[in-house]
Parts: sequence; structure tokens; C-alpha cells
Amino acid sequence: MADTDSFLHLARPLGPAPIGAQPSTAPLSVVIQPQAIFSILDHSLRRPADQERVIGTLLGTRTEDGTEVEIRNCYAVPHTETAEQVEVDMDYQKQMLALHLRANPREVLVGWYATSADLNTFSALIQNFYGQQGDGTWPHPAVHLTVSTVPGKDIEARTYISAPIGVTAERAADSCLFIPVPYEIKYGEAEKSGLELISGAKDREDRTQVILTDIESLERAIQQVLDMLERVSNYVNNVLDEEATPSSALGQFLMNALSLAPKVDPADIERDFNNHIQDVLVVSYLANTIRTQIDLSNRLATAALTMGTGDVITGTTGGGGEGGQKGGQDRRQNARRGGQQRSNEQ
Amino acid sequence: MAETLKDSPIRAVQVEALVVMKIIKHSSQTFPTTATGSLVGMEVNGTLQITNTFPFPTVEVPATDGHQQESPSSLAAAAPRAKANVAYQNEMIKFLREVNVDANNVGWYTSTSMGNFVNVNTIENQFFYQKEMNERTVALVHDVSRSSQGSLSLRAFRLSPAFMTAYKEGKFTTESLQKSGLRYQEILVELPLTIHNSHLLTSLLHQLPSDVPKEELAFPSNLAALQQDPNTPQPPLYPNFDSLDLSIDPFLEKTCDLLLESIENHHTELNNHQYYQRSLGREQAKITAWQQKRKAENAARVAAKQTPLPEDEWQRLFKLPQEPSRLEVLLNSRQVEQYARQVDGFTASVSTKMFAVKSNLLPGE
Repeated sequence: MADTDSFLHLARPLGPAPIGAQPSTAPLSVVIQPQAIFSILDHSLRRPADQERVIGTLLGTRTEDGTEVEIRNCYAVPHTETAEQVEVDMDYQKQMLALHLRANPREVLVGWYATSADLNTFSALIQNFYGQQGDGTWPHPAVHLTVSTVPGKDIEARTYISAPIGVTAERAADSCLFIPVPYEIKYGEAEKSGLELISGAKDREDRTQVILTDIESLERAIQQVLDMLERVSNYVNNVLDEEATPSSALGQFLMNALSLAPKVDPADIERDFNNHIQDVLVVSYLANTIRTQIDLSNRLATAALTMGTGDVITGTTGGGGEGGQKGGQDRRQNARRGGQQRSNEQ
Repeated sequence: MAETLKDSPIRAVQVEALVVMKIIKHSSQTFPTTATGSLVGMEVNGTLQITNTFPFPTVEVPATDGHQQESPSSLAAAAPRAKANVAYQNEMIKFLREVNVDANNVGWYTSTSMGNFVNVNTIENQFFYQKEMNERTVALVHDVSRSSQGSLSLRAFRLSPAFMTAYKEGKFTTESLQKSGLRYQEILVELPLTIHNSHLLTSLLHQLPSDVPKEELAFPSNLAALQQDPNTPQPPLYPNFDSLDLSIDPFLEKTCDLLLESIENHHTELNNHQYYQRSLGREQAKITAWQQKRKAENAARVAAKQTPLPEDEWQRLFKLPQEPSRLEVLLNSRQVEQYARQVDGFTASVSTKMFAVKSNLLPGE
């Protein structure tokens, strides 16, 4: 996000901890999915007015050896913080975890987040709570994610794991050493379309965006490509006019890009093009024909026709049923024919 | 459509970006199984603001069960109106209220593939929500297959008041349809949907992906250096260049399959109806025959000075067949309409792309 740090992990002396309960402090990398960040930001907006930061639980998956953690989901946990003490609603955390696990059985508890970049004594306390045996992430280290939400500044995220530290066992409970670990924000193919739409609203005053149709998003994409081509051809023209500095690397790159254009026989293109456009049009035509036929069949079936002096309802439904039936058969044949035509063309 | 919108208590739907992302995540994770979940939010001046969402618990399919085996997909599709999930939903909302989330249930969402969502399940779920919960609920439909081809497909639907009344009565006979004038186009009302970002999120989006460096960059020394340059900007999230991709066949193939399926359904329903017509005709012929016989008998009895037999006994003797419900036909028609619209949209963009490719490959023609 803001800046990518480089990381070096060193072996270090470990604090006093009961033997056998030593959580692993092996380095790991963290992958964050955007909806987790979105959720944290939403929680930060909904925090009580008198609270500086809010916390919550991170859910996700962990690779078998525990070296990679993927944060997929999170939920808010109420807590109160004063100068002297911190109180986390553990009961709430437990029940919410159970509810979430029912919906996503594959996700596990991986750590917690806070919406402020500060680390303090309370952070250590909460960190030890999340990393403990039993309900915590033990034997894996709990991941702590901080997302700074200071207005007017960039949103900065940091991820940490912790190692126990402290002179005595009593002091170890409320202190720990936070070790920064690298993280990445990753989004999958499926999320791309959503993010596209969401970021479409980022430059708008009202921060809203209507759902685009296919053709509209195509128009925007083409517009963007045209702009980029314009920029490149401007640069090339400037180089030719000896106004801009030439670069052989850029030239080579552009050359490579241009040579990607396939060399095909015009007749082949013409043929393929015609076949494919016909496929598309025939399916579109058929779909609309079917729609019309079904509409017609429905109208016939429920139209209030009076057939002479006879029973109105019986008369019409009979007619409608037959009409629809005939239409149905026609359509089926049509569609079959269409299907064959299509397969012939391919 | 405009008229039906006026009656409805909500006129537009505004979805938070968080909700969009959560729905996409849940839907793509469970694809091709249907994913369903609950929506929370509140209504402000006729606009329904959906601010958070959570998925319904996954249903374990019991291996050995006395009941009929059901696929996880159909179980998930029926989840929004299942009793266990109503409890789950209430509990979740209770917890969400503690962290200041708008704690009103405003509907449910479902994932679909290629617009294949107009079915009895959707209708029943939405009916359940509009009837049991409150009037101000919507169904969000996220189309996973279409979203993977470029632009996001997320739509908001409600049941029309006319359909609600008809469904409450549970009668979809020809007669009742004639009386109410309900047409298949009027089952679902689509509401305009907008996506809304919070200020913090807008701030985050401006950092994602990181901006192009402001200062003038030095020229790369060779091709390899250019390709490894860390300053190479990531493709922007918006606009999405995936929508320039030209893949036609999968879409057409699927649409044809779905259309054929719909026709098949329509045909079955028509056959049912025809069967009903025939048996109705037979019964009526029998009744007429019986009535004539009774009349002749009575005439004979009157002539013989005996008391005539009652003439309305046929109502006890013959039972007219039940008319099959036309609901399935209506939904199927609505589904076909949906497919047709979808294909129209697809044709528009694909033919544009194809002509662009052609004139690119054959310049000067």
C-alpha cells in the first residue's frame, strides 16, 4: 500500500515461557484480501465517538507449515480502553467466532486487527490473549494487523507477529515483542469486476456509482486504450521530430509489442469473422424469437376471448393451449435447427 | 414499471462497497453451488441502504438420511427461509448491533450463473421476506459467470404487489390470471442500484494500486531493465481491460443450453395443461351425457306420475380435474425474457469488439 518495507528476520533470545507452550515465531508472510480491509475501515467508521481505536478478529487460512497466512474475513469485537485498563468482550468474541465458523467452516482464527498504527501495552495484552493456548491461535503465532485511519493521511497497514518477552513470568503476560512481517494485498479474478466498479466511484464527489452495462464498460476501456495509444504515438512522433530523448529500450519494447499482431490471410479473417458474427446474431435472434413466442403463448392462454355463446373459459384455454402447444413445437424445431446450423458453422 | 415503482415503499437501492466485496467473495468461493446470505442496513427516504451482509451457514448434506437426498445447491437456495437460518440471522444481527452496525434485516442475496435465477426458490424466499419480515426487503442477485467476463452483474429485485396478492392466495389458474391481469413481466420489479463508498475507502482506493511516480523517470538502459522496472505501473482497477477480451463461444453455448432447458420446461407445462384440458373435456362430456339421461328419465317418471329425481346429483358423482398452476409457466417466461435481454446486451458489445478486431486486422477495407 503506502510503502513496501524489506524484512530481515534474525534469531533472538526468547523470554521466559512455560516449556512446551512456546509458540512458533518463525517468519511468515501475510496475504490480505481486500474485503477484510474494507470491513476494517467500515468498523473504524462505526466506532463509538469516545473511542480512539477499535479492534476485531481476523479469520482466514493458514498453510500447513504455517509460513503463509491469508486473511479472508474479519469481524468487530467490542472493547473498552481507558488509561489504566483494557476490557475485551471475550464472550462476544467466542460466540461470534462460532457463528462465523458455521458459515465458513474452512476459515480459522488467525489473529486480530486494530484501527490505529500505535502499539502499546494493551496491544501486547490483547496479542497474548489471541495467541494463547486453547481459544487462541497457539501453536501458530497470532497475526496482528494495524490499519491507520487518521483522516487526511494515507491509510497504512502493518502486520506483526509476536515473541514473548519479559523478565518474569508475570511480566511476560502483558508484554511481548512485536515483529513486523511482510504482507501483500491480493485480489482474485472474481473480485476484479467488483473492485473495478467500486474504484470507478473514487473520483466522484458523491462517491456513488451506478452499475454499468457491458457496452458502457467496453466504451470506457476502449477510451482508455485510445488515450494510451495517443500518448505513445505522441512520444514516438516527438522522437522522430528530435524533440524528445530517444531510448533504444523503449523502441525495442514497442517493436516487440507491434510484432505480436498475428499475420493471417485476409480471406481467412473474413471467413472466421463472418462465421462468428453469424453465430452471435443467430443466437440473439433465436432468443428473441423464443421470447416472443412464449409471450404469445401466455397471452393466448389467458386472453379473455369469447367464442360465440359457449363457455368462455373452456373455449379460450383450449384454444390457448393448442396455440401455445403448436408454437412450442415450432420453437423447438427452430432451436434445434439453430443448434445444428451453429455446429455446422463451427 | 414506473407505476409499480411508485407503489413500492423503496425506490432505489444503495449498496456499500463492503457488501459488494463480501457477496463476491462468498459467491465465487462456493461457485458453482448457489450461495445465499442475509443483508442488513436501513431505509432512508425511499432509498434502501445496504451496509453489511453475512452468509448463511453452509449446510452439511447428511450422508444417510431417511429424507430425500438434496444437492447442497438446492439446500443453499432454500436457506433464506429455513427456520434454523432465521434463528442464525437474528443472533448474528443481535451481535452486530453491539458494534454499531445497522441492525435491520433488509433482505437477502443469492448467487447465480448466467442469469438463471428466476425460479420458485427465489420467489418463495422473497415472498417469505416481504411477508414475514417487512415490506422493505430486497433480493440482490449476483451473477458469477457474467461478472467473470468483465463488468460486475449485481441487481436488486422485489416482488410486485400484484404478484404478492396472487401468491398469497396461491392460485394461478387461467381464471384468476384473467381477473388480476398479472403478466409474467410484472412478477419481479427491478430497482435501480448504486454503489457507495465511504470516505476512508475512497482514500484507500486512491492508493490501490499505487500511483504512478510523479517525478520524471530515467530511461531504461535496455529491454530487460524495462521489463523488471519496479516503477512499471500496475494495470488500473478501472477501467477493466478484461472487458476487451473476445471470447464468444462459452457464452453462446451456455445461453443455448439454458434456452433449450427453458423450452423443455415450457413444453412440459403445456403438456400438463393439455392433459388437463382433455380430462376436463371428457368429464364434461360424461356430465352432459348423465344430465341428458337423467332428464329423459325424469320425463319418463313425470309421464308415469312419479316424483322426478334431483337433477343436480352430478356434482356428487363427478369430480372435475384440478387446473394445473400456471405459476411455473409464468416464471419460465420471465426467465426466457431474462435470457433474451442478456443475449441482446452480449451481442451489442461482442459485435462491436468483433468489428474492431476485423478492421484492425484488415486495415483499409
